[in-house]
Amino acid sequence: MSSRVNHQEIVKKALDAKAVDFAAIGKVIAEVGPALALADDPGDFFCGTMRHFVHVYSVRVVNDGSAVEELGALGRVAAELRS
Amino acid sequence: MAAIHEDAEASAGASDVNGARWDSEDLVRRLCWALDIAERAVDRLAAAGYADPDEVGNHLRPEKLIAETAFLLLSASTAGRYPEVERRVRRVAERLTPHARSERMILGICLEPALALDYAEAHICLARLGYPDVRFDAALRRSLGAQAHASRERPPHRVLEQDWLMSGCTGARACRAARSSQAVWNSALGRSIDLLGCTREDVYAFTHALMYVADQDLHPRRLPRPKPVILEEAEAALAWCLDEQDYDLGGEVLLAWPLVRRPWSAGAAFAFRVLAHVEDQAGFLPAPSTRLQRLNALRGDARINYLLATAYHTAYVMGMLCAAVLRFGRTPPSKIPRTLAARGSAHRILPLLDADGMHPHWRGEFDHLRGPEQDAIAGFLLAIALRRKVGRRDIAGLHDVLAMGLSLGLADSPAASQAAELLERLAGAAPELPVAAGRS
Repeated sequence: MSSRVNHQEIVKKALDAKAVDFAAIGKVIAEVGPALALADDPGDFFCGTMRHFVHVYSVRVVNDGSAVEELGALGRVAAELRS
Repeated sequence: MAAIHEDAEASAGASDVNGARWDSEDLVRRLCWALDIAERAVDRLAAAGYADPDEVGNHLRPEKLIAETAFLLLSASTAGRYPEVERRVRRVAERLTPHARSERMILGICLEPALALDYAEAHICLARLGYPDVRFDAALRRSLGAQAHASRERPPHRVLEQDWLMSGCTGARACRAARSSQAVWNSALGRSIDLLGCTREDVYAFTHALMYVADQDLHPRRLPRPKPVILEEAEAALAWCLDEQDYDLGGEVLLAWPLVRRPWSAGAAFAFRVLAHVEDQAGFLPAPSTRLQRLNALRGDARINYLLATAYHTAYVMGMLCAAVLRFGRTPPSKIPRTLAARGSAHRILPLLDADGMHPHWRGEFDHLRGPEQDAIAGFLLAIALRRKVGRRDIAGLHDVLAMGLSLGLADSPAASQAAELLERLAGAAPELPVAAGRS
């Protein structure tokens, strides 16, 4: 019922569309990663371009805009907590 | 969610849904259930927290669970005159103590003096409950004496939290009254909430500031604005929480009424009713974080751990709310108190809301109210309608809702006042806006 965006659905669409080629990204990281890890000037000066091409985040999502699940179904699950 | 009531009677010890009784027996039952959930959460998650192996964003740090459990225990202890509550508080406290004073916590206090009070929150609460630890106190004192102990910059409600923790420390001198006083004025309690555009974080800042300011056992402070003004805004924020089915935040907002010791408003009484019936049907007060699809993919311990990690917080909020009600003896009325709203007001506003095609839980509950009770929450409905219109940037609709509120005598509220201000700002800026220029 929420009017908020469901981010999970958007992410799933992006993944289903193959908009991000994780295999290709992984291949590049596998190639340059070891040298970067040992480089004297890693991080922001990556390749001397001063640009980030890939960011890897772990995002803590407290409430992603999804609605509360159906109450009756939750009630059946809650019984497991009482046992 | 056609009717909240259908399965309510099936839940253990459910209240009389038609009479909607929230007597002490019912409130104690709800509080005990929150404490039972706390016991399970501590047993399963306090040692290592929770990390969903397949959903990297779904994790819970043990420190958070431990601190929040201790806070619940402290709240619940105020209803300790009920033996079943007292017994559970003791049992959970004993299970929590080793985690609250674990090596991990000691190391955190030593390594991060700016977070010392945060790491020590459970220890401080347990000491207040009668579980002191002089060794831990000494470690905390050393860290609070470090040069860097006050190095973290915090928003006002977090300053209040720090001072609340400090004032609860064993052997602490007077709390930092001057700093707290300034923080109270700078907090969300000291200024109007944006009732048409506030975020969860804004309301969270309000609820937490109030919890720390209103701890009557320590250093109760005067609120920076009159209680009725604060509660009027709280009611509009509560209306938004209910419409979003955000019961975690809604439960925290509801704490405002018992904490400031004022009679329940019609909107607050209605909101309590919704939360109680949602809890009866779901078996716990739910949050969107508990996903059935994920749950159904799990078995055994993984399933129970997921359920506890995603559900414990909202369950705790309901427990704290019931504890506060029991403590101050301000039981929510079984009938929605009457207001000055004219007869038929609610049903003038309702079509505007139903036209949105949404059917949150409160809508089913509304249908179970008697006519005068429905009219009593007409202002509550108006606040929901105003917020929805602004959320959708439907300014013409906002104007219409406000005009209706005015015609019904409901415009004397902070939400309506802020809506009028918004329309005035837009009208003043209209010549500069490209949309207006395009029309002309």
